[in-house]
Amino acid sequence: MLMCRDLAEIASDYIDGELNGRQNLSVKMHLMMCKDCRTFIGNLRASSNLLSAHSSGKADEEFLRRIDERVAEALEDRKSGKGNNE
Amino acid sequence: MNTAVQPESEASLIEDLKRGDSTAYRRAVREYSPGMLAVARFYLDHSSAEEIVQDCWVTVIDAVQKFEGRSGLKTWLHRIVANRCKNRLRVANREVATDFSETLEPELANRFNSTGRWDLPPKLQFHESADTLMENGALSDCLDKHLSALPETQRSALMLYEAHQHKSDDVCNILDVSASNLRVLLHRARQKIFLMVETFQETGEC
Repeated sequence: MLMCRDLAEIASDYIDGELNGRQNLSVKMHLMMCKDCRTFIGNLRASSNLLSAHSSGKADEEFLRRIDERVAEALEDRKSGKGNNE
Repeated sequence: MNTAVQPESEASLIEDLKRGDSTAYRRAVREYSPGMLAVARFYLDHSSAEEIVQDCWVTVIDAVQKFEGRSGLKTWLHRIVANRCKNRLRVANREVATDFSETLEPELANRFNSTGRWDLPPKLQFHESADTLMENGALSDCLDKHLSALPETQRSALMLYEAHQHKSDDVCNILDVSASNLRVLLHRARQKIFLMVETFQETGEC
């Protein structure tokens, strides 16, 4: 029988739909009987959604500006026929 | 808010990049560099990762001419970065050290008793939607702090999968990890964020 700890170990696989049919069914059966695990799965799913909503891919403006400069130089070189030898 | 480049505008962006349009490059640099940096940070320290991303953009100016769109632009760029990083690691004879042995975070594992039942179950339910939660500036700062404290391997996997919405196969390919190891990386990282949000909701502290 699936215990709470076993469920916690495969919780992300359940959320992402990566479990096989039998495993998925045991998780669902366990969740029907266990309020704590329902809360855990709900909260883990909310954490995952939080990450999707969080634009953590922010890069600092100074870094982006340095890339702009390198790209602008390389584009100039290309136009003037020097090309990029990388 | 989803600001990702839509397929039709991606096609026109690619055409503009092929023409060497500097405005298109500025737009693409802002759109794709954060993800490229996340990939590079999986392999390298911060300053080497930034250097690789800059070099990649210069390479892209020529390489994009041969881009045929078999994958999306984002996946293509991430692969270029990953290949460069792997080459650099090969040259330096270094490998990325990762521990895939434990599925549960110790802090969570300790909350179960010897029979495998919860000893310390989650008390609160996270009721609010992700967007509502993110409007809380203190929580958003706390999330940033915890994300930057994650091991690079977990953070990169999480960023590519959750924030940059790559499919599992793409993440495995880009980061060179097996599907089962990716599952461990994602699950460990999500548990840390779960524990963080739980502490924040209970105590208001980060």
